[in-house]
Amino acid sequence: MSDKKEIIEIKHLGKTFGKNEVLKDINFSINEGDVTCIIGASGSGKSTMLRCINLLETPTSGEILFKGNDITKEKNVAAYRAKVGMCFQSFNLFSNMTALKNCMVGPMKVLKKSKQEAEQDALFFLTKVGMAPFIKAKPKQLSGGQQQRVAIARALAMHPDVLLFDEPTSALDPQMVGEVLEVMKTLAKEGLTMIIVTHEMAFARDVSNHVVYMQDGVIWEEGTPQEIFGNPQKQETKDFLSRFINM
Amino acid sequence: MNSFLLAGSLPPDFFGRILFILKNYGVSMAKGAGTTLLIAIVGTLIGCVIGFIVGLIQTIPINPNDSVAKKILLKIVNIILKIYVEVFRGTPMMVQAMFLHYGAMLLLNLHMDMWTSAFVIVSINTGAYMAETVRGGIFSVPLSQTEGAKAIGMTHVQTMLNVILPQALRNIMPQIGNNLIINIKDTCVLSCIGVVELFFTSKSVAGTYYTYFETFTITMVMYLIMTLFFSWLLRFFEKRMDGPAEYDLATTDTLAYTSGTLSDPRKDFVDDRHLSDAPHAGEDNMNNTRR
Repeated sequence: MSDKKEIIEIKHLGKTFGKNEVLKDINFSINEGDVTCIIGASGSGKSTMLRCINLLETPTSGEILFKGNDITKEKNVAAYRAKVGMCFQSFNLFSNMTALKNCMVGPMKVLKKSKQEAEQDALFFLTKVGMAPFIKAKPKQLSGGQQQRVAIARALAMHPDVLLFDEPTSALDPQMVGEVLEVMKTLAKEGLTMIIVTHEMAFARDVSNHVVYMQDGVIWEEGTPQEIFGNPQKQETKDFLSRFINM
Repeated sequence: MNSFLLAGSLPPDFFGRILFILKNYGVSMAKGAGTTLLIAIVGTLIGCVIGFIVGLIQTIPINPNDSVAKKILLKIVNIILKIYVEVFRGTPMMVQAMFLHYGAMLLLNLHMDMWTSAFVIVSINTGAYMAETVRGGIFSVPLSQTEGAKAIGMTHVQTMLNVILPQALRNIMPQIGNNLIINIKDTCVLSCIGVVELFFTSKSVAGTYYTYFETFTITMVMYLIMTLFFSWLLRFFEKRMDGPAEYDLATTDTLAYTSGTLSDPRKDFVDDRHLSDAPHAGEDNMNNTRR
């Protein structure tokens, strides 16, 4: 792990909403090719931290270094976000566009690719997530799992350096969870750098190589899945994990 | 005296008088209706453009990282736009017409002809209403759409043009229709600056024979036909915007092409032609890709 290149480094990150301190002095780093799972109870600040990484939330204090540059002082936020993909809990597909257009609009408008090139690329990634037959469908005509897979294809079509997942399976039924996790597993194997906020402990244990446990806006423990799931050091981590009996 | 004599030539019954008016003045009333429509449609269109521009500017977000100059400029522009909206939404169009057409003539020595005045007044009046409508339309699009667009690196303008406005436009279509219909009716106040539209013509016709009931029956029906037609037309546009309720699964051709062979897809097609005898060859291909 140490010989890999660092891609994201978070230093003393803090975020407050009014008087509510959601993130307190967060420090950790991500290497290229890492699959990092962030686990913890709801309200522990996982999603806020993830949203800070692509600046959907503006951090109150601290630094986020992306390839060495502090992006909290970045003027061209859009250009940075184009390199960091994001998949949301509620998919957030553009409801005025078909599945295919959803995956083409970013490459065409942001990356200025030609229509033909964008379409080929979009079809490639839609095929990869198993959604090629549904290219003509509008988001509301698709099931949750299908929408999430299109959303993943949309993010991939931007060829991001890092892909962030904000509880991608929380709004899905068990069968759909399976189809989305399957896609994510494939991406992990291909070496895509991913940061995943999830409640799927089995997935975190089997697929990730870096697990972060958060509680009350603080990172309590981080390490390899073996360390966190096999031999957690803190009592809080043990308590949290003990609730997932079927692991 | 003159009108009394003329009235003598009028048929005695209601429908007879209606036919008489239509025969003698139908063309000029139709011309008046044409003027009404022209002003209403052009005014609504320009008003929509103004409304979109104003609504868009008012919803530009201010980021903490923006320069001070940008923040101040935006603040000033927003105040001006707010005054525009409140003034033109909060005063009667008839008063605005008098104020601009005659007032501008005296104050600024600006001689606008009747047509220019008419278009300007209806446009800026509609623009003030549309600005608020567009603002509402933009807020009606869920925040998740903006976040989805931001997350793939779109700028504010790109997000607006590609994601938010198309959805906002669909949401405010009923209100645009409302505005058009209101404008068809309300252009009649422009008769006060001498625009010869349907109401002006009707009043002249009615006055000539003292046939207010008959003439305005015709006028009512003409207004109603115009408004009913446009409310039907706008419903039709709304349906068109919604697109088909169903979708087709992609054909196997597209998939064969995308499954990424370097060879010419047409050549594959010729080579595999014998496969077309096999039942559900297409479905198999599709399922393979899904796995």
